[in-house]
Amino acid sequence: MTDKTMLKVENLKVIFPNAAGVVRAVEGVDLTVREGECVAIVGESGSGKSVTSLAVMKLLNSPPAVTRVDTLEFDGRDLRQATEKEMLDIRGKEMAMIFQDALTALNPVMTIGHQLDEVFIRHQHMKKKEAKQASILALRLVGVPSPERRYSDFPHELSGGMRQRVLIAMAFACNPKLIIADEPTTALDVTIQAQVLDVLKNMQREHSTSLILITHDLSVVAHMADTVYVMYCGRIVEKAPLKELFHRPLHPYTEGLLAAVPRLSEENHQFIQIPDAVPNPMHKPAGCTFHPRCRYCTQQCRDKMPPLQDMGDGRQVRCWHPLGGPNLTEDALQDGSVGKEAGRYE
Amino acid sequence: MSENISLPLVRVEDLSVYFPVRGGVPFARKKQVKAVNHVSLCVPKGETFGLVGESGCGKSTLANAILGMVKPTGGKIYFKDQELTALPPKALRQARRDMQMIFQDPFSSLNPRFDVYRLISEPMLIRGGYTKAEMEARVVELLGLVGLSADDLHRYPSDFSGGQRQRIGIARAISLNPEFLVCDEPVSALDVSVHAQILNLLMDLQKRLGMTYLFISHNLAVVKDICPSVAVMYLGSVMETGVTKTIFRNPLHPYTQSLLSAVLDVDVDSRKQRIILKGEIPSPIDVPAGCPFCTRCPKATDRCRSEQPKPVLAEPGHFVCCHYPGPIEAE
Repeated sequence: MTDKTMLKVENLKVIFPNAAGVVRAVEGVDLTVREGECVAIVGESGSGKSVTSLAVMKLLNSPPAVTRVDTLEFDGRDLRQATEKEMLDIRGKEMAMIFQDALTALNPVMTIGHQLDEVFIRHQHMKKKEAKQASILALRLVGVPSPERRYSDFPHELSGGMRQRVLIAMAFACNPKLIIADEPTTALDVTIQAQVLDVLKNMQREHSTSLILITHDLSVVAHMADTVYVMYCGRIVEKAPLKELFHRPLHPYTEGLLAAVPRLSEENHQFIQIPDAVPNPMHKPAGCTFHPRCRYCTQQCRDKMPPLQDMGDGRQVRCWHPLGGPNLTEDALQDGSVGKEAGRYE
Repeated sequence: MSENISLPLVRVEDLSVYFPVRGGVPFARKKQVKAVNHVSLCVPKGETFGLVGESGCGKSTLANAILGMVKPTGGKIYFKDQELTALPPKALRQARRDMQMIFQDPFSSLNPRFDVYRLISEPMLIRGGYTKAEMEARVVELLGLVGLSADDLHRYPSDFSGGQRQRIGIARAISLNPEFLVCDEPVSALDVSVHAQILNLLMDLQKRLGMTYLFISHNLAVVKDICPSVAVMYLGSVMETGVTKTIFRNPLHPYTQSLLSAVLDVDVDSRKQRIILKGEIPSPIDVPAGCPFCTRCPKATDRCRSEQPKPVLAEPGHFVCCHYPGPIEAE
């Protein structure tokens, strides 16, 4: 990992207006990815993590989506000015995407070889024969057994793990600077998930590619990421380096998420739960969006949205009462609900 | 629990479910998908029995066979000492009233055109013998049990979040007071922060209503916490079964070991040694001769490839199907 900034996003906002109202999917997200860094965006469904990644690649259809962004810089270029034609050259060559469901991401009526060739022919202007050699090599690099035979297979002839490897091969085909992986292993089994994550990690290290990993699975994050952004209801609620976040979460939502993961190494007979559910994106609660589910909630939280404040050591948190933090208010201290045991939820 | 040996509620003996494969060469021997292959297990009354394995290993087919939704090719299923596989259809329907199922995906298991009242009262309507007032009272009672309110009675599934929908599914499943409930991946389609709510609800209901669960899951950490006993399946066969604590502390089958080591932990400090399995699950159409796991097993020998291992009692409450049980070195 170097200090060079690969991607810089400032104040990204995406809304989807519809007849019934406006869905504010992303509300002011800042994101920085350095060269060779793996940034994880963690959040539940509806938190805006996928929309953020699509907006970065300018893949959102407009209409319906309306996107506003102050800065969108990729490798020193301002992507806000880039036309669709320029984006076509950038996508697949300089930034690539790995989708969650490989069966829908691949074209079912074309062989995987044909689909891989396309990338090389389109971006590296190879001849058909060269492209075939390059595709077979790409398949070999991601650990597809007997790639010469697999080259002429159709997607349905491969297993889920193999299809995901094909997508990874396709994403790394032109040695891009940035890869966005949207839930790359969610559809896979545990043993296959471990294989695919290892392939992804090794490929990223070898090519020193920047990686944005979008997931809801904290164990995947623990395995892969350098920096973690936690999103809730379209906003970043916490940003921290991996170890700091897992050891000492500052936001009550992060704390709850970490506590809710059942661990193989511990005994527990009651699962720790966060009450209620993610709010409807059309009717987000006033004040801090997490307040109805937060056990440290005070009047201040109900009234006003906290800003994303710097906590030092590259950490940021959006909370009036960060866990174990310095700026606890009087009333929170009085009812004794804050700061007692910052590390544990219950 | 192992302390008080409870009577089995469901007993499966040497059960096989094969599905014919269509097409193929005419007059050639028809191929079969061996979804469940000579499985025997015992679900003790009032307990949660875990069934783990990767997709395609036959866990759901086994559950469907117990519930009578697919016809077994061979073997016997006992429910409350009644042999289900030998019952005539009418008696079978009677017996099945005491077994219900919670589905994985609450978005497809609830009819979007039915309101909550109709969804939950449907089983009672089908059984018959309830007056309208009785049904309504029962539905309200059930809503209370699963943590919804009577105000939700005439709302539709689209008004609810995933977790709430799963609660409706649970209310429907327990509406006829079943003794046996199959939970087929009840939380894997839900948001992470809601998992704990639904699991706690299921455990709470079990305590209150004394139900027996067959809990199908691929999340080993959850199974460890809620299932006193467990069976690990691979390619239609049970590889290892017994008391969960014992198996998780001392897994003897190479497949169980690699499955446990493949689980990613949220612990960022320990980089544990993981056994990464080579290759993929073979197709259940051509199950390897001998041990089903022999194609991916790091310890496999010629004996494994030719001779199918029989279950062996390795220690009290711990059966393993392997010629060479014991630890393997992580790479």
